[in-house]
Amino acid sequence: MADLKKVSTAARQSAFLRWIYGNLTCFSQEHMQTFGYLAAMLPVVDELYDNDDAKVKALSTYRTFFNTEPQIGTMVVGLTVGLEEARANGEPLDDDTINGIRAGLMGPLAGLGDSIIVGTFIPILLGVALGLSNGGSILGPLFYIIAWNLAMYFGMKFAFDQGYELGGSAVEALVGPQSAALRDSIVMVGTMVIGAVAATWINITTALSFQFSADSGLVLQDTLDSIYPKALNFFFVWLCWYLMTKRKMSPTVVMGLLVVVALVGVLVGFFDPGLSY
Amino acid sequence: MGISMIQAILLGLFACLASLPGMGGTTIGNYTLGRPLVGGLVVGLILGDIQTGIIVGAAIQLVYIALVTPGGTVSADVRAVTYIGIPLAILAIRAQGLDPNSEVAAGLARSLGAAVGTLGTVLFYGTATMNLVWQGIGWKAMDGGNWAAIKKTVPLVDFVLPWISHIAFSFIPTVVICLAGESMVGMMKEYLPMDGVAMKTLFTVGSLLPAVGVAILCKQVVQKSLDWVTFGFGFTLAAVMGCNLIASALIAVFFALINFKVEQIKLGRPAIAAAGAALDDEEEEDI
Repeated sequence: MADLKKVSTAARQSAFLRWIYGNLTCFSQEHMQTFGYLAAMLPVVDELYDNDDAKVKALSTYRTFFNTEPQIGTMVVGLTVGLEEARANGEPLDDDTINGIRAGLMGPLAGLGDSIIVGTFIPILLGVALGLSNGGSILGPLFYIIAWNLAMYFGMKFAFDQGYELGGSAVEALVGPQSAALRDSIVMVGTMVIGAVAATWINITTALSFQFSADSGLVLQDTLDSIYPKALNFFFVWLCWYLMTKRKMSPTVVMGLLVVVALVGVLVGFFDPGLSY
Repeated sequence: MGISMIQAILLGLFACLASLPGMGGTTIGNYTLGRPLVGGLVVGLILGDIQTGIIVGAAIQLVYIALVTPGGTVSADVRAVTYIGIPLAILAIRAQGLDPNSEVAAGLARSLGAAVGTLGTVLFYGTATMNLVWQGIGWKAMDGGNWAAIKKTVPLVDFVLPWISHIAFSFIPTVVICLAGESMVGMMKEYLPMDGVAMKTLFTVGSLLPAVGVAILCKQVVQKSLDWVTFGFGFTLAAVMGCNLIASALIAVFFALINFKVEQIKLGRPAIAAAGAALDDEEEEDI
């Protein structure tokens, strides 16, 4: 092991392009951007490791759920390319550390990306474009297409490269003498952020209410909220976790169960999205 | 005057590219082709009336100017708004002989766009659900542990197979609805009422499924029961105290920092103890 392995520019570019194109192409509610991530890491892992078992093992790290604002999230992919490079060079980085970092970053980056890119940058560009397209002028849409895509391509490339460099330098801290303490703390951030994600991105409510008499009744959701807000989110996450870890069910079986729960819930009036056209 | 087969097919193709989990990718597909203003240009080109296309697109764009989809919760489907709503609106404006630039025409375009947008959320859930099948193929390859197979299957699952979902839930609905025209929208609303069991269950499943994804994350970080307290802390920050994810993360980092310092002190102590065990004892007695 005289020479340190380094991810070639071609493999990095391939990972970058695969991510910016494929981050959401195979989206499902269960694994939102996971396959985009796997597809992006594949050329990197393929280059870094020599034998097939090591490749499979390394890629398996990225099997865990991933979802963020995918454009700003390019940075996380760059970061893990840097970390994977260090790992291939024998640095003792384990799956939990890498996934702790991923989990800890995806929530805040999603918040940042949704508010800055989707919530601010796009509306500004569209605002200008709408002004330019007065009376059906082609100038408006053309301006948006060019300005948005140029800004995003170079922005994402920058984020990816920054992440990659950061990944290399972060390794020092992650595997040094205090690594156990740092790892523990990173996983702690990850766990808290996942908790916040569970409260923010999931929205499970019940429509059940009882009418005892003309002026007394019980709206179950209000009662639940007075006990612990969004208690149903917490319950369902815990339930799915319980079924998967303690009952050893696969995610697919758990999802099948949820379909049954939803159907029964709708039939008895527990669930009612209350939507209309 | 209706839409020809070739025009409908082109619209269907763009619907596949522009969806939220779309085959054009996020930046070029959803955020470029999926914006009603850009869609207006594309639909205008396909239908041979660029000016009306852009005017209608701009009118609808105003409604969805800051369409944020946090965590994949979709309130309106851009593929339907843009590649079903705009063509139908152009047809309706032509049929009623309205001036495209008028407020009435813009209002008509917006309400049509909103109606098909809501209808389109079904297409969103349909696409996402069908993608589970392809992901299943991917997981099977990953479990198999054969690198040559994984190397072939993962890109196939991410880049190619979702086209099938889009043919079923983007291409065919767009082609059929665009060919059938406005009457189709009313008919679908009648056959799939939002207060029927099928639609209610569909949307309920959509709200329950993210719990599986988050639970998979928990599997990763929750090692002992006490870790649920850490999880609950983050949950409480967002659910009870109303912190957004950035604020929650900052608070989490703060506590992790304290944890790190405590751990560091713990790490430092054996060294001190080893260096001067006797000294340590004396100091403690002094206190």
